[in-house]
Amino acid sequence: MELIVDDETRKMRHSGSVSALLKKLGFMREEVVIKVNGRLAPETHQIKAKDSVEIIQVVFGG
Amino acid sequence: MTDKCRCGRDAAVYLHYSRAHMCASHFMRMFDKRFRKTVRQFSMLRKGDRVAVGLSGGKDSCALLHSLCELKKDLPFELVAITIDEGIRGYRSRTLRIAKRECEQLGVEHVVYKFEKEAGRTLDALVKRDGSALPCTQCGVLRRYLLNKGARESGADKLATGHNLDDVAQMVLMNIMRNEPSRLARFNEPLVKNSRFVRRIRPLMLTPEKEDAVYAMLKGIELEHAECPYAHSAFRSQIRRMLNESEEKYPGTKFKVVNSFLEIEDALRGKYLKGAAVAECSTCGEPCSGSMCMFCRILRP
Repeated sequence: MELIVDDETRKMRHSGSVSALLKKLGFMREEVVIKVNGRLAPETHQIKAKDSVEIIQVVFGG
Repeated sequence: MTDKCRCGRDAAVYLHYSRAHMCASHFMRMFDKRFRKTVRQFSMLRKGDRVAVGLSGGKDSCALLHSLCELKKDLPFELVAITIDEGIRGYRSRTLRIAKRECEQLGVEHVVYKFEKEAGRTLDALVKRDGSALPCTQCGVLRRYLLNKGARESGADKLATGHNLDDVAQMVLMNIMRNEPSRLARFNEPLVKNSRFVRRIRPLMLTPEKEDAVYAMLKGIELEHAECPYAHSAFRSQIRRMLNESEEKYPGTKFKVVNSFLEIEDALRGKYLKGAAVAECSTCGEPCSGSMCMFCRILRP
């Protein structure tokens, strides 16, 4: 799968849900919005090998 | 678990607290319905009101502006947007641009108040002058003062801010942990009425922060992805993390914190109303609890 975080793209292997991916990468579910293949997707989405997953941080301090 | 909305379309979000998958269209409908319900429940708006919107250009205030514009189609009232430019180098300019563009697109009157002009110095300069003071405290005092002043000068009856469910849950916990329950008592309105205070309303107070972001994205609003450079120093950041961790383990935690507060709000107001008084600041004449308001205290040489 392709992973996009903060406009940086990289390839990685992950089988399972977006939720498990967030946990693996140390993101808090409440602080991010997910796009899969350019469309908003729930954290329950099961990632496929060809998916492009974007993690967008939406909760900041201030 | 299927990723489908109840209508059969692909889900855009999953709401853990209600265990519901929603497509973009059903999410937007739910968002607008809850917004209108909150406005009704707390009698926030009346026909013919002039409403000043605190518009930072972030996702929450932009979502608020769009929602108010939608509501305006059914309930006639006037809107004016007020943006406060704190003077934070490398942070505020982009959101100011977003705020301006959103107002132009929605046809909303827009005014900008700058710390530098109104208070004589930027937030950056204030922080540099007194390194021991908390930037978020100083910024909050000056911003609230200028928003109230701006709303009054715009002839507004109400001042709407983009505070969301997360903000309110954080505020509740912060005031409890600081042993300041009297602050909770004046959350929805000051204990003592004063004509110089414009009534504050928070129509998104029952909307989770993440959902403001989803709404903004679905509306095509540009999101600012930078964090305020002073945010790391805030006690609020720790509370935010604690609440978000709790929400992940026990979905619905934020709603429970805020609903518990709303249940006891009247009792708190009753307790602290006795003996509450309002005076005039000896320097600027604005209402305050002591002889000098916090705005003037921060700015005194």
